[in-house]
Amino acid sequence: MEIVVCIKQVPATTRVQLDPRTRTIIREGVELMLNPFDAYALEEALRLREAHGGTVSVFTMGIPSAVVMLREALAMGADQAILLTDRRFAGADTLATATTLATAIRKLGTVDLILCGRQAIDGDTAQVGPELAEKLGIPHITAISKIEQVSTESLICQKMVDEGYVRLRIQLTALLTVVKEINTPRFPTLAGFRRAQKSDILIWKVEDLDVDPGRIGLEGSPTQVISTFVPEQHKTSIVVEGTLSEIASQILASLQQQAGREQHG
Amino acid sequence: MPVQILSDPQIIQPYLSDESKVTGQAQSISFPESEAEIREVLLTVRQAHQTLTMQGARTGITGGAVPTGGHILNLSKLNRITGMGWDAERKCFLLSVQPGVQLNQLKKAIAEKSFDTTGWSAQAQSALRRFQQSGAWFLPADITETTASIGGMVSTNASGAKSYRYGSMRRHVLGLRLLLANGKSLSLNRGEQFAQGRQLSLRLDDGSQITGQLPAYQMPQVKNASGYYVHENMDLLDLFIGSEGTLGIVTEVTLALAPQPGFTWGMMAFFTREQNAMAYVHALRALPQAEQPSAIEFFDQACLALIRSEQEQLHAHQNIPALNPAAQSAIYTEFTAESLPERDEAINQVADLLNAAGGDEQATWLALSRQDLEKLVAFRHAIPESINRIIAERKRQYPNLTKLGSDMAVPDDKLDWVMKLYEDTLNQTGLEALKFGHIGDNHLHVNILPRNEAEYTQGKQLFEQWAREIVAAGGTISAEHGIGKLKHALLAELYDAHALIEMRTLKRCFDPQGLLNPGNMFSLEA
Repeated sequence: MEIVVCIKQVPATTRVQLDPRTRTIIREGVELMLNPFDAYALEEALRLREAHGGTVSVFTMGIPSAVVMLREALAMGADQAILLTDRRFAGADTLATATTLATAIRKLGTVDLILCGRQAIDGDTAQVGPELAEKLGIPHITAISKIEQVSTESLICQKMVDEGYVRLRIQLTALLTVVKEINTPRFPTLAGFRRAQKSDILIWKVEDLDVDPGRIGLEGSPTQVISTFVPEQHKTSIVVEGTLSEIASQILASLQQQAGREQHG
Repeated sequence: MPVQILSDPQIIQPYLSDESKVTGQAQSISFPESEAEIREVLLTVRQAHQTLTMQGARTGITGGAVPTGGHILNLSKLNRITGMGWDAERKCFLLSVQPGVQLNQLKKAIAEKSFDTTGWSAQAQSALRRFQQSGAWFLPADITETTASIGGMVSTNASGAKSYRYGSMRRHVLGLRLLLANGKSLSLNRGEQFAQGRQLSLRLDDGSQITGQLPAYQMPQVKNASGYYVHENMDLLDLFIGSEGTLGIVTEVTLALAPQPGFTWGMMAFFTREQNAMAYVHALRALPQAEQPSAIEFFDQACLALIRSEQEQLHAHQNIPALNPAAQSAIYTEFTAESLPERDEAINQVADLLNAAGGDEQATWLALSRQDLEKLVAFRHAIPESINRIIAERKRQYPNLTKLGSDMAVPDDKLDWVMKLYEDTLNQTGLEALKFGHIGDNHLHVNILPRNEAEYTQGKQLFEQWAREIVAAGGTISAEHGIGKLKHALLAELYDAHALIEMRTLKRCFDPQGLLNPGNMFSLEA
C-alpha cells in the first residue's frame, strides 16, 4: 500500500504573530511543532504499512528548517520525506497549498491512500485535505476515527459526526483526514533516529513541479486575509472566597443576578 | 487595617492537612499580604503564648505544613514577584519572589517574560527590559510538583529529576529575607555572612547579633534533606535553606536564573533485564562532566506494570503508546545541547553507550520536541499519582493506611548494593512495592503498598531497617522530602542523641520559646 501523509509545522504557542503586510503567520524565529492532528495521520499510515506492507511518504510545504520535522517523521518510521520549499510557494492560501501538494503527489507516482490531519491548529480551516482530494480527482472523507478492512480496492472507515459515528466504505485511491481518537502516536525510536540520519530528504522547488506559477503562493491565492484581530473576551472569572456557606450564597446571588439580566435584556 | 486573625473552625478546617494526608489542629489562621502583616501576626501569636505553623501550597509529603495546635500562618497571599536584577559577577538574572508564589506561576512568567511590575523599582524595570531582550532563561530548581510554593521549596531544599545536573534549591537561592521569632528582620545574601568554624554570629538588620554554636555532626556526603545543613565556615544563608521553617519566616527569596539551553531532548530506554539498565546508568555517570545528562530516572517492573494496567483497564495515560510487556525496567534520561548538530552527535554517543550496556535501540523512545518531552514528564508524574489512588482505595477498608514512600540516598559506590538490599528484603517480606526515581543520585523512592494493617506495620519496620543499613553505608534517610513531622524516628537513625541536642540548641538561639513550626524535624522537648 502506497501511502502519502501531508504534515505541517505550526507555531508551538497560542500567541501567534502575523506579518502586517501579507497578514499571514510569521514562522521564522518562532518555536514550531508538528501539527498535532498530523501526528495521528502519520501514526495511522505507519500502522497500515505494518499491517499491509508498502511505503509511507511524508510531504510538507514550508520553510527550509522544516527538514527537522521531516527527520522526526522519518525517525518515527516514514520511508521517505519530501520538502516543498521555495519563496514562490510562500503566502499560499488553502487552494494554492492544495494545488502545490497535488502536483507534488502526482510527481511521486502511484498512491493508494493520502492521510491528513483533520486541520492545522494555526489556520484551523480544515480545507487543505478536501481541496487536495478535489485537485487530484479522488474521493475523500473527513474526521476519520478508525480505519478497518483494507483491501486493494477499498477500505471501510469510521467517521465522527455530531450524533456519533458513521461507517463508510471508500474506493481507493482516496484521501482521509483523521481526528485524535484514531490512535496514540508513537515516539520516534533511537533506531529510527539513526536510520533517519542516514536518509536524504528530497527538496522540491517550483521548477521541480509541473505547476502553473500563477496558481501557487500568494499570487495564486484567491482568498486573502484582509484583517486579523483578537476576539473580544466576554468571559470573566470571579474568585469566590469565604466559608462554604458564604461561597454557596455568593454563587447563588451571582446566578440570580445573571438570570435577572437575561430576562430583562 | 490590621491583618485578620480568623478563628472560625469552618475556615480553618481545609488548612489542617497537606499532601502527607496527616490532619492536625489549630485555633486560628491568617493570610498576611506583607512582611509587616506577618510581623503583626507573629507578635500577636507570641503574646498569646501560642505557636505558629507556616504554610505555602501544602504540597509537602512529610507533614511540614500540618499545624500542631496554635496559629496557621498561611503565606499563599504573599504571591508576588517583586523585582528583577542582573548579577554581573555570576552573569545571570535574579528574581525577587515572595514565598507564596507557586512554581508554575513563576515558570510561566519567566517563559513568557511577562511580569506584573506594579511597585517595581526603576532598576528592576530596567533589568526586566534587558531580560526581555536577551534569550530564554529558566529556573533550574525544577521539581515535579509544580504547584509547590517557593517558600516551601526553600524550607525543604527541594529538588527534582534535574537536580542530578543542577543541584537542589540551595544552589539557586542567592538571598533570603527573614523574620525571626523575636520580630526582627534579616536580609541575608550569599557570600555575606559566614560561620567561624562552627561558631555562629549573625548580624541582623538592626545591628544586633544572634550568636551560638552550630552542631558538630558531619552530614552524609550524598544528596540530603535531613536535619540542619551545617559545616565549618559555612555561608550562613545555607543554614536557613532546608531548615523547615524552624529558624525563621522567609518573607522574600532571591533566585538565580540560568540561560535556557538551545535544545532539550529526552530518552526513555526500556530494558528486558534490570542488570542492563544498571549497566547503562553506570556508563552514563562515567561520562565527562560536559556530556552528563540533566536527569537519570529509573522505573522498575512494577511501575511499568502499573502504567500498563491503567492503560488497559482505566484507559488512562492515553497519550503514551502501549508499553511492551517484555520490558522489566526503564531509564529516562534528559540532555541539553546548544545546536542541532551537537544534539545529534550526542544522541549517537548515548546510543553507543546504550548498545554496549545491552540496551535495545528499537525499544528506546526519543523525545525531541517539547510536546513529546511533556508526555514523558507526565509519564513520570503518573506513577506517584497512581500510587496515591491505590492507597486511597485501600484506605476505605483500612483507614489507618498511608503511603509508605522512602526517600533514602546512598553514595555512588553503594548503588548496586542498595538495589540488592531493596530487592532481597522486599522478596523476603512479600510486600507489594514499586521502585522509581532519581537513580543518578542513588536516590530511589521505594513505595510500599500495604494491603492491610499488618503489612503497614511490616513496611514501616522495613523502612527502619533500611535506614539503619543505609546510614551505616554513608547514606541519608531523606534526600529531598525533608523530615517534617513524619520522619523523626528516621532522623534519629542518621544522627545520634547528642546531635539532636545540638540541633535543639541551635533552634533555641533563634527561637527560644519554640514558636516557629513546632514538631518539624524534631520535637523541642527531648
